[in-house]
Amino acid sequence: MIDLLIIGAGPAGLSAAIASARQGLAVRVVDEFYRPGGRLLGQLHEEPDGMWWNGLDEAARLTETAKSLGVEICCGVSVFHLTQSQNGWVVSTTQGEMTVPLLLIATGASEAAVPVPGWTLPGVMSIGAAQVMTNVQRVRVGQRGVVIGVNILSVAISRELQLAGVTVDRMILPPSTTVSGTAGQPEAVMQSLLRVAHLAPSLMIRIGSKLMRSPWMQKLAIALYPSKGFSMWDIPIQLRTTALEIVGTSQVEGVRIARVAADGSPIDGTEQVIPADFVCIAGGLSPLAELAAIAGCPFAYVPSLGGHVPLHNESMRTPVPRLYVAGNITGIESAKVAMAQGTVAGLSIAKARGKLTNEQPLSDAIQQVKIVRQHATIQFHPDIVAGRALVGQMTAEWIAP
Amino acid sequence: MESHPLIICRCEEVTLAELVETAQTYQCTARELKLRTRAGMGCCGGRTCRTMIDQVIQQVTGQAPSHTVPLGYQPPIRPVSFHTLGGHRA
Repeated sequence: MIDLLIIGAGPAGLSAAIASARQGLAVRVVDEFYRPGGRLLGQLHEEPDGMWWNGLDEAARLTETAKSLGVEICCGVSVFHLTQSQNGWVVSTTQGEMTVPLLLIATGASEAAVPVPGWTLPGVMSIGAAQVMTNVQRVRVGQRGVVIGVNILSVAISRELQLAGVTVDRMILPPSTTVSGTAGQPEAVMQSLLRVAHLAPSLMIRIGSKLMRSPWMQKLAIALYPSKGFSMWDIPIQLRTTALEIVGTSQVEGVRIARVAADGSPIDGTEQVIPADFVCIAGGLSPLAELAAIAGCPFAYVPSLGGHVPLHNESMRTPVPRLYVAGNITGIESAKVAMAQGTVAGLSIAKARGKLTNEQPLSDAIQQVKIVRQHATIQFHPDIVAGRALVGQMTAEWIAP
Repeated sequence: MESHPLIICRCEEVTLAELVETAQTYQCTARELKLRTRAGMGCCGGRTCRTMIDQVIQQVTGQAPSHTVPLGYQPPIRPVSFHTLGGHRA
């Protein structure tokens, strides 16, 4: 008999498993992937202090800790339905039904697509798929590719591809269409990159100067107008070039590109086809909240958190009895924030189960989430704190604090 | 211009042009757009195109996104065999 079922063995789910198992709960974690770690598995980047963040090592550390505390981790299991029962939840999985008093949904995020004509050709993949193939499965995605969509995630993953010996010919923008939002507009993309200019020492180039004075930023601002763009780690980032179409008969053979005006409209006479054998499309992340919706949880629409997120309070409790959430399902942030949230959820669930004798660790853990958020290397959106506050207010209408 | 039509819903092969045209004609909700075109009703359950259907409605009709999730989710949220759902193999 288990006390808690956690859906998702990523940074949030595993951290929650550890925190709750330490309080004596019997915990099972299920995950759709064939090994635990979630998005941690793909992550490899250099922190501002010069240390490398190796997600594979973090995933192994969390998995080992959880197992040593008696947590049962079941991989290759998909959850396709949830129903409330009198004393908890009946969870329908590809390995049969599981009955459990308390449930934590830590399903993370899914990649948003930005469609490009020809994107259904074999050889086109999301940037996250390229990351998993490269860093987890060690499969070469191709010889020479083009990344369509310039954002903090796609820049970091392009660097990972390069570290693995895969050539990224260039990074360009998606075509401006009804469904591309601002991802196809050079000025909007530059603005969003400027927000992460503080990452320059780690993610971009090693310079330590202050925000507006940084040569990298000046370079970036100027680079919008000259045609060649700028390079990071020798990967050309062309904010004034758009992908018109991915070309090929039975697989990717190239990308038809054109120069664009500052508003994203193509300039006549600048079209050319560049050869490529793979294409990565990067459209950002949005919370993967389908199970919370099935469970009947109310939502908030918060663009700074990546879209619709299930309502929850600081203890990661939702308005639905016995249902908790943690990690990127609550908003797109870094793995470290997800881990801190997981710890909160684990302690909060232990409390609900009557196993938390001292509540100090829970309030400390809630504080820790804020501290980690403040120091996050990758801040996906400038208005995260305001977005979190809105979710908190909306949740307060459902749950007394 | 494009030799490849821009497909939005791969399962049901619904193009962007078809979605925009339908949204313009009927000035409808995301749900109605889904029902009229079948976009998002294929075997994957709209896992890729759901947000794009929402965006078409926002851009074409000017409807602001609300806190309610526009397109509902129905179980099973993953493609599963009838056997998994409780059927019996012959």
